[in-house]
Formats: sequence, C-alpha cells, structure tokens
Amino acid sequence: MMRWLSALTLNQKLALLALTLGVGALFISPTRGGAVSIEPDELAAMVQKEVDHVTADDLADWIIQGRADYRLIDLRDEKAYAEYHIPGAELVPVAQLPDAALARNEKIVLYSDGGIHSAQAWFLLKARGYKGAYILLGGLDTWRDTVVYPVLAENPAPDQAERNAKLSARAAHFGGAPRAASAVVASAPALGSTPAPGSTAASASAAAPGSTPAAPVPMPKVQAPGAPAAATAAPAARKKKEGC
Amino acid sequence: MSSNTDTLASSWSGAAERDAAAAHARSAPYSNPYLAGIGLGLVLLAAFVVMGRGLGASGAVGSLVAWLVHGVAPEHAMSNGFLSGYLGDGSVHPLKAWLVFEVLGVFVGALVSGLLAHRVATVVERGPRVTVGLRLAMAFVGGATMAFGAALARGCTSGQALTGGSMLNAGSWATMMCIFGGAYAVAWFFRWQWK
Amino acid sequence: MTAPFFKYGAFGDETSLVIAFVIGIGFGFFLERAGFGSARKLVSQFYLNDLAVFKVMFTAIVTAMLGVTYLSWLGVLDLSLVYLTPTYIWPQIAGGLILGVGFVVGGYCPGTSVASMATGRLDGLAFVLGLPAGTLLFAELFPLIQRFYDSGGFGQRTLPDVFSLPYGVVVFAVVLMAIGGFYGASLLERRFGTER
Repeated sequence: MMRWLSALTLNQKLALLALTLGVGALFISPTRGGAVSIEPDELAAMVQKEVDHVTADDLADWIIQGRADYRLIDLRDEKAYAEYHIPGAELVPVAQLPDAALARNEKIVLYSDGGIHSAQAWFLLKARGYKGAYILLGGLDTWRDTVVYPVLAENPAPDQAERNAKLSARAAHFGGAPRAASAVVASAPALGSTPAPGSTAASASAAAPGSTPAAPVPMPKVQAPGAPAAATAAPAARKKKEGC
Repeated sequence: MSSNTDTLASSWSGAAERDAAAAHARSAPYSNPYLAGIGLGLVLLAAFVVMGRGLGASGAVGSLVAWLVHGVAPEHAMSNGFLSGYLGDGSVHPLKAWLVFEVLGVFVGALVSGLLAHRVATVVERGPRVTVGLRLAMAFVGGATMAFGAALARGCTSGQALTGGSMLNAGSWATMMCIFGGAYAVAWFFRWQWK
Repeated sequence: MTAPFFKYGAFGDETSLVIAFVIGIGFGFFLERAGFGSARKLVSQFYLNDLAVFKVMFTAIVTAMLGVTYLSWLGVLDLSLVYLTPTYIWPQIAGGLILGVGFVVGGYCPGTSVASMATGRLDGLAFVLGLPAGTLLFAELFPLIQRFYDSGGFGQRTLPDVFSLPYGVVVFAVVLMAIGGFYGASLLERRFGTER
C-alpha cells in the first residue's frame, strides 16, 4: 500500500486526496446552524444590560425612516396577524421559528402581544447563535399604548407641546390617534377593527382594571399609509452593493 | 528583468514570436497548475473565513466608474440605477470599497510573482500575423465586452465562476458554463490573433 | 461558530480594506504563478492547446469548496453568513456568453488583466483600460436593460437547492467531475497541445 502510494505522481496524489475528501463530504452536512449552545453568563449579562430589546419608540422611528436593515417578526397566529400587524412585520409563529430563513447576522426584532412569547423566542434564537435577536419591549400592548394611541400630556408646557405634536403625527402615521391624559382608559382601544381615524377614545375612569372600553375605537388598517412604499424605495439607495 | 524599449521597438517591426520566445527563455516555467489552483483556492477560502465573501474584480471597475461619473455629473450618477449601487447614500467614498483594495493587491501580488520568476517584460502578447496596434485594439474591445458581460451577470470569472462556483451557487455555475460556452463558440473566429 | 470573522464583528471596515489588499496579493500572486498574466496561456484553453485555465480554476473551486464544507461541518464557519450572489438566470446566461466572447477577443479576464498589466504586458493594460469603457456603456444603457437585468430572479440558490440533493452529494459530484475533467484535459493536451 505504502509503496503504491509513493509510486504515484504528485498530481495523482492530489487527485486521491481530493477524492477522499469528496467521499468524506458524502457523509457530512455543513451545519447551517443546527447546534444549540447556551452561554448562561453571556445571556444573563445581556438581559441585565438591556441590550436585548428595542423600544416601541425606536421601532416606530425606524419604520417612519424607511430603514431596511432589520426584520420584524410577528410571533402570533395567522388570525391575529390578519387583524393587525405592525407595518413591515412578517408572520412566523413561534413553532416555525427554527425553520424560518433567518440569517445570523441580521437584526431580528421579535414581538408578540405582551412579552412572553417574544422573550421565549429571543432565548431560542440566542441559543442557536443568532447575534441580532431583539425583543420589542412590551410587545403589541406597548406599541398600541405608546405609538398608535399615545397618551398626551394635559396642559402641556412648550416643550411638552412639541412632544405632543410629534406623538400625534406619529400616531396618525400609523393610523391611530392620541388620547388625552385625563381620559385615562383602563385599556386603550382594541387593535383590529376597521379604521375611522381622528376620533379619540371614549373616556372611562381610571378604576377597574379589566373594564372594557366604552366604544371600541377603530384600529388602523394593516398597511400604514406610506410606510411600505418608503420601505421598498429607500433600501436600494441606502447601502453600497456587496458584489463581485 | 527585461522591460525596455528595444523589446517594444522590435514588436513594432513585427518580430513578435522572437521577443516572446526570448522573454520566455529568460523566465521560470509556470507552476504546476494544480498547485497554483490549490494556492488560489486557499486564498479564496481565507476570504470566506475572514470576510464572509469571496474574490472578485469587475465590482472594482463599477466603483471606479461610479466615482468618475459622480465627479463629472453627480445627479446623473445618483439617479442611475446601476451606478447608485456603488455610491450608496454618499456617506462612504466609492473607492473605499473592498474590491478596489483587493484589485490593488492583485496588481502587487502578480508583480511580486512576476519578479520572482523573471516574467516581467514590456511586451505585447500577440500572434505573428497581428500588428501591435490591432492587438491592443482587440484587447481594449475585449475588456469593454467583458466588463459589459460582467455587469450583466453580476460578476466575472473571479466573482461568479471562482467564488460562486466553490459556494455551489446555482447562478454562478450557469454563468461559468456560459462563459466557457461563449468562449469556445467564438474561439475559432479569432484564431488569427494567435496563430 | 467564530467565522466569518468579519461578520461576527472581529474587526471593522477599515481593517477589512487592509485585509482586502492582502488577500488580493495572494490572488494576484497565484494567478501569475499559473501563467495567467499571459494572454497566450489563457486563450490556449480555448484552442485546446493548454487547459491550465480549467485546471487552475477547478482546482481552486474544489479546494475552497471542500474547505468550506469541512469547516462548516466542524462548526467553525457559519455558511449562512457567507455572501451568495442572488441568481438572476437570464442576465447571467446572457452576461456569461458575452463574458466568454470578451475573453477570446481580449485574451484576458478582469482579474488576470490586472496581473498581466502588473507584469508589463501592454495588451493587458489595454484590456484594463477597456473595462471602465464597457462598464460605462452598461451604466448608460441601464434604463433600457433594467427589466432584463432584474428578470429571472430566484434569490440565493445553491446547486443542492436546485437539484434537491444533500450538500455533501453535490460536493462529491463536483470533485468527481473535476478529476474526470482533469484527466480529460490531459488527454486533450496530449492530442492538441503545444506546451508553453
């Protein structure tokens, strides 16, 4: 065997090496990230430092700016998604998350109704090496309460007035409307019915948590005005192309 | 090393074969293609491992052209669907591109190898029936043609065939086969350049 | 998974440009080693005299391909982070054919033309000067060809995807094909070859 091997020319030896490695390749499969590894210290530190989340304010800004450097994942079910989803969100129910075509270096913002599913999904992705997973802090509940139906300060001071104006404009962008602080509702209007923007929520007293709003207020249609068009036009110009 | 005007002058007078042979006699033989290929493959692998991207060349030309056009007619450049990709949002200089620096490196690396092998010479590679002028014109036209094709195919032999080939990229393999196919199809018609 | 280092944030953009230069040096070095600074050597491929182009190219492809496969299997390299040019089949077929014609007419390809220019070839220099001309022409004609340019888009697709085969099987097939090709090339060279 050794004599035969040494009798081969260099080219033949190289061919043999290639063939051996090629045969070896038949039995292996490149892991496109199947392995799971957990670094508890690292994860705990991330949670502590709060680098694991994105606020609703930030996300709203990103959408308005038409940024295309992140993916927004809605973790709920089809019905909920159809009723309402944040503009630009893709539906990926939690169970399908491992199979979804998410790249490890992408920024991935996860949201669900509150924060539980998104936190669980975050952990899942982090354990599989996704560096850019983020939770939308407070989920859809906070999105609704701070972006779509933000609370405006009563009797605003000048700088507050400016902030109020910004919040109103932003809310309008997403098809919602501001609520006055005095009209404290137990919960903001439900997300998910046909729109009639401009009307403010009916007021109810601060009392009973869990009391249903007096009149369910129109929730914005699924496509926020202008956002999708902006999102698709901008990306082309944003980054330099990576190519050959 | 024999870069000198003599060689050039005798090219003009038509002794192409003679100076090519003379230059060749001084130079070291080419490497075993398989060893050179392994070297090239390892460089490519290094690019994958370090950068997460492969090699290329035509993209650097795109950056160059985008920069030049932008210098002369910025509005036109930014509104051009092809060039704007190389300009981005204007925050980064188009020549500060990975491929531009890579191509500069190609120049240096080839020069080093050439010097080591005594293969640097001011010559015009051509066949005996072709004048220098015609050969240079053909080279220019060939370059322009390849650049056009590379822009269309989103890469050239380095970017598509070499890089995409090793990544088993479907489009790259198609491009590679068409490169070889197109070349073989017309080779016979241009054999006068070399024979 | 620690590689690709750049995509895991090991260093920044400025450093990546230095790395580009260094990698380019390696690229140019081996191109010239193989003799690809010479148009004669390159076009010999298409006259079946000397199939070094095929040998070098496919050896490089097989080397990098096996490297990527094994490093990925070992969990060292994250394949999903390595850039894959999206497939746009129609312009790639057309572009490929045009590339082939340009290769024969000019005697170089973009990478090798730079190598050629570096070793003093004036025809290599002429080729390099032709490149921006062709690119400019493309850019100016772009509004007319844009639809074609964006047609046949299939996103990032690999051969294993297209043939629904496991990655390793395609790797093996490519190795076999390359070795078979090398053997065939040596036969062709014996028949038609003029060793230079």
